[in-house]
Amino acid sequence: MASENLAAALEDSTRQGRVYLDYAATSPLLPCVEQRMVNVLHELGTGVLGNASALHSPGHLAHEILEHARASVARLIGAEPDEIIFTSGGSEANNTVTNIFAGQTQIVSAIEHPSLLESARQRSGKLGVLPVDEKGRVKIRETKLTKPQLVSVMLANNELGTIEPIEELRRHFPSACIHSDATQAFGKLKINVKDLGVDYLNISAHKIGGPAGIGALYVRRGAPYHPFIVGGHQEQKRRAGTSNPLLAAGFGAAADWAWDNWSCRRFVSVANLRNLLASRILREIAHSSINGFEQCIYDKENQSYNTLPNILNASFQAAEGESIQLYLDATGIAVSTGSACAAGDTKPSHVLMATTGDAEVAHSSIRFSLGLDTTKDDIDRVMQVLPSIVQYLQSISTIKIGEASK
Amino acid sequence: MSESQASWVYSDLVKEHFLSPRNFLMGDEANFPHDTSGTVGNPICGDQMTMYLQIKDNKIVDVRWKTYGCASAIASTSALSELVKGRSLDEALQIGPAEITEFLGGLPKHKFHCSVLGHEALAAAVKAYRAK
Repeated sequence: MASENLAAALEDSTRQGRVYLDYAATSPLLPCVEQRMVNVLHELGTGVLGNASALHSPGHLAHEILEHARASVARLIGAEPDEIIFTSGGSEANNTVTNIFAGQTQIVSAIEHPSLLESARQRSGKLGVLPVDEKGRVKIRETKLTKPQLVSVMLANNELGTIEPIEELRRHFPSACIHSDATQAFGKLKINVKDLGVDYLNISAHKIGGPAGIGALYVRRGAPYHPFIVGGHQEQKRRAGTSNPLLAAGFGAAADWAWDNWSCRRFVSVANLRNLLASRILREIAHSSINGFEQCIYDKENQSYNTLPNILNASFQAAEGESIQLYLDATGIAVSTGSACAAGDTKPSHVLMATTGDAEVAHSSIRFSLGLDTTKDDIDRVMQVLPSIVQYLQSISTIKIGEASK
Repeated sequence: MSESQASWVYSDLVKEHFLSPRNFLMGDEANFPHDTSGTVGNPICGDQMTMYLQIKDNKIVDVRWKTYGCASAIASTSALSELVKGRSLDEALQIGPAEITEFLGGLPKHKFHCSVLGHEALAAAVKAYRAK
């Protein structure tokens, strides 16, 4: 084993079971979601459910399940049911929106999800990319492009948790259509599409305890639209393909759970654990830094946060992210990294490159993302092993601390 | 190795070399008196490694290394350090990426460059030694 201290810490930690701190990647199914899906699966198995497009009774039942779920999802974000299109998830929704404005002028932020950035690059006529500050806040005024048809900025960033000023964006581009990818913010922040003033907004079920493989795209009544997947009348001719009542039912159940149980305040305890982890990392691990906001602060009056309460991104000088991630995994702790190596890519996180401009900081980054089930014990478990892992990797690193290349 | 394994998962041997690497140099390089060293890679690309060699009568008698890099960079440098010990300089230079990868029971496709890096670090160290 690497070193005796580390070996002992790893062995001790491994015995204590798994710690999941990758909720931003996907979150475990809520028990009520699982129950609802099992019930629907049973009806599918017995042949009671048909194709939601069919006119017979089994088809009608499937249609009802689908529409019930649509109403639940719509309610949660302040939309009307007919403004909700079910999609396969965030990537499809992002592709759909940029495709509506094919050949036209689009403005996006530098830290959007790759599915938005890549599709905007391929489909826009002219593309403007808004830079961000060191915390990841978009600089709305820094574009030379005037009169864009589409402006797309995410509601909160998936790597840093930084929240973007969508209402301000709306005011700054009064004649553009505004799209916001709310995949990460969903379930953590209060989202109301009318208050935000957006024309398009997308969310994903599996970020709030629903199943992966289904999401929704909100399209404001009257906003320009044409389908990305054509050749079927489903979703009011807005997205071809047989409807999936099983996934929709799971999504709807997760949305109902959030409606009944959720409040912004619920995440205050998560924010406290996130902040505890941030301070302990800075205090107990030499040459560590926090990317984005160091502390998450709850604004009681407005029921909002300065940054997502569940995401913490940290970098550890001279220790590479994938190695930290896999050492943590060997002790039963799941996190993610912005290192290129881990993503099977040649470039490190474009988000950290946009905020820091420092590839080593990006390669050496770890994202911890917490959920409502995360406990102080989980944070203690991380801090039981992380200092020795980082110290060990730093001690065998070619990079001498303090001489890191910029 | 199945297709899905080849695309992502590390072999048990890679994991073993990653979690218990051999011949690494901890802390200051003065801790290992050496006749030559070679560094390749760049932290900006996410991988950098240095090989330190003790050489006697044209033979590598002992070796240490340092790496800033991912799991397969650590594992392949560890593997290379095992492979070169006791070999003559010419023999050691024959060790290419294929042999390192084979020693580790395969590497995920996109990780091959990591093993190439170890080989290049060794070549740089030998070149520096011969230039003395």
